[in-house]
Amino acid sequence: MPMVLLECDKDIPEREKHIYLKVDGEDTRDFLPVSNAQTIPGTLSERGCAFCGAKLVIGGVLKDTIQMIHGPIGCAYDTWHTKRYPTDNGHFNMKYVWSTDMKESHIVFGGEKRLEKSINEAFDEMPEIKRMFVYTTCPTALIGDDIKAVAKKIMQERPDVDIFTVECPGFAGVSQSKGHHVLNIGWINEKVGTLEPTITSEFTMNFIGDFNIQGDTQLLNQYWDKLGIQVIAHFTGNGTYDDLRCMHRAQLNVVNCARSSGYIANELKKQYGIPRLDIDSWGFSYMEEAIRKICAFFGIEDRGEKLIAEENAKWKGKLDWYKERLKGSKMAIWTGGPRLWHWTKSVEDDLGVQVVAMSSKFGHQEDFEKVIARGQAGTYYIDDGNELEFFEIIDRVRPDVIFTGPRVGELVKKLHIPYVNGHGYHNGPYMGFEGFVNLARDMYNAVHNPLLKLAATDIRVKEVVAYREAAE
Amino acid sequence: MTSPAHNTKADQLFSYVQERCLWQFFSRTWDRKENIEGIVNAAGELLTGKQPPRHTPMEKLFYADAVIMVADFRQRFPWIESENPSHIHEILGVLKEKLVDISITNSKNHELSHSLY
Ligand code: SF4
Repeated sequence: MPMVLLECDKDIPEREKHIYLKVDGEDTRDFLPVSNAQTIPGTLSERGCAFCGAKLVIGGVLKDTIQMIHGPIGCAYDTWHTKRYPTDNGHFNMKYVWSTDMKESHIVFGGEKRLEKSINEAFDEMPEIKRMFVYTTCPTALIGDDIKAVAKKIMQERPDVDIFTVECPGFAGVSQSKGHHVLNIGWINEKVGTLEPTITSEFTMNFIGDFNIQGDTQLLNQYWDKLGIQVIAHFTGNGTYDDLRCMHRAQLNVVNCARSSGYIANELKKQYGIPRLDIDSWGFSYMEEAIRKICAFFGIEDRGEKLIAEENAKWKGKLDWYKERLKGSKMAIWTGGPRLWHWTKSVEDDLGVQVVAMSSKFGHQEDFEKVIARGQAGTYYIDDGNELEFFEIIDRVRPDVIFTGPRVGELVKKLHIPYVNGHGYHNGPYMGFEGFVNLARDMYNAVHNPLLKLAATDIRVKEVVAYREAAE
Repeated sequence: MTSPAHNTKADQLFSYVQERCLWQFFSRTWDRKENIEGIVNAAGELLTGKQPPRHTPMEKLFYADAVIMVADFRQRFPWIESENPSHIHEILGVLKEKLVDISITNSKNHELSHSLY
């Protein structure tokens, strides 16, 4: 089966190159959706901007760092509080937002003075905080404000502070993916190696590409603590600015989100010779495999087996209870990119759930190679899907539950199809053994909740009103 | 010339690797090549009763990936236990060729040979 031109795309036939229906016997040598490409005019993309990829996904997670956004207030609002990445220090990163609040006169006369004033003001207001990321946005990049020069001046005047600049305005790339890239490469080139860590274990690693969504990092950290492995830096879940400067001292880089953070793992390998081990952290089978690989690397296999046995004793029964009740359910995954390939086999193997459609906002072709290799035949693989396509795909595959963000989630609710928050989770964490039971519970509650079906019944009339009405 | 039986066996291993192993999908051609070479070689040692070297960081990494894969091979494909070493190497050689073909030579991924990460 070649690529698919949906009915709703007949006026934008270029979309055909982005939608693939896998058929038995085919593989990625035959077809691979175009991805990480410019959004086609005429399609209402679900993507975020490049600045958002740097700030909302990676930088904003840090627990001890001011995130100064040099731009109009909207850039700050759009990238604040929409992700749930708590910290163990009272959620500093989620309580505050910082912006230079650029207005017309600053755009006309230049914003560097205003940036300088804002940086000083922020450090004065929060004297206990000594670290800062500064981001350009579209307007301040267009007028050519030199944020690096301003940061340098302030670091000279305030020797106890350290500032990292991210020059990635919204228009710098086709999606948030560009922001991940710019931040990764900037950090390795400017900050890694500028501080030495205190080593407390003979086994050290960096954990790269997990963002402590509802406590993912903190949950997995219990495992690393039990195994006696020191995590030098978390990139960036519950992480600190200074830990990330010490990444060069780890013996191993363990990578969860290869899309947002693979770049820094590659560079750490190239520049410092630290090997990169890619793992999946969602699902029992994957988590066991990840623990076994990490332990095999360090030669502490016995510790790994003990941990796996303990976790299975605690959680496997619960997982199986949900599996019994979820078996045969059909699921769609419409998220950023990597969760497609992280989840498709884990829900199939661990929960008996069949993934029937997947859409990625910012995945690259590498992500589609992974997900098509792992995913089933008869499943749709979509790059940069839009609303109308979602409606049409729903009609074709009829999922019982959709894992996606709140915006699309609210949309599919109108079709009386339940959604689970695939970005920030409903009731996470979802990683690790305990986390996957949480995911199963949220999926069970969604699939078996009678409310959405009842809501589709118009009690004024005898017959049931077709759910399609909401889409028309 | 590979025998049809070995080809079929290599196909089974190939399907497993495609489905389970993220190391074949690293970012660039040279990373993929290095992983395929290192991990399949380490698997060959393990399957023929030898211990692959574990001195350098990369050797330890290849071992970690290979040892898990070999355990799964043994569990899923019981025929592997009764193959003699030369057959094992031949089958793994075909596996390597198949992996290089899908993830490098005939990959449609346009970013594979970009000189920068
Ligand atoms: S696209 Fe530009 S102006 Fe809009 S939020 Fe992103 S950085 Fe700000």
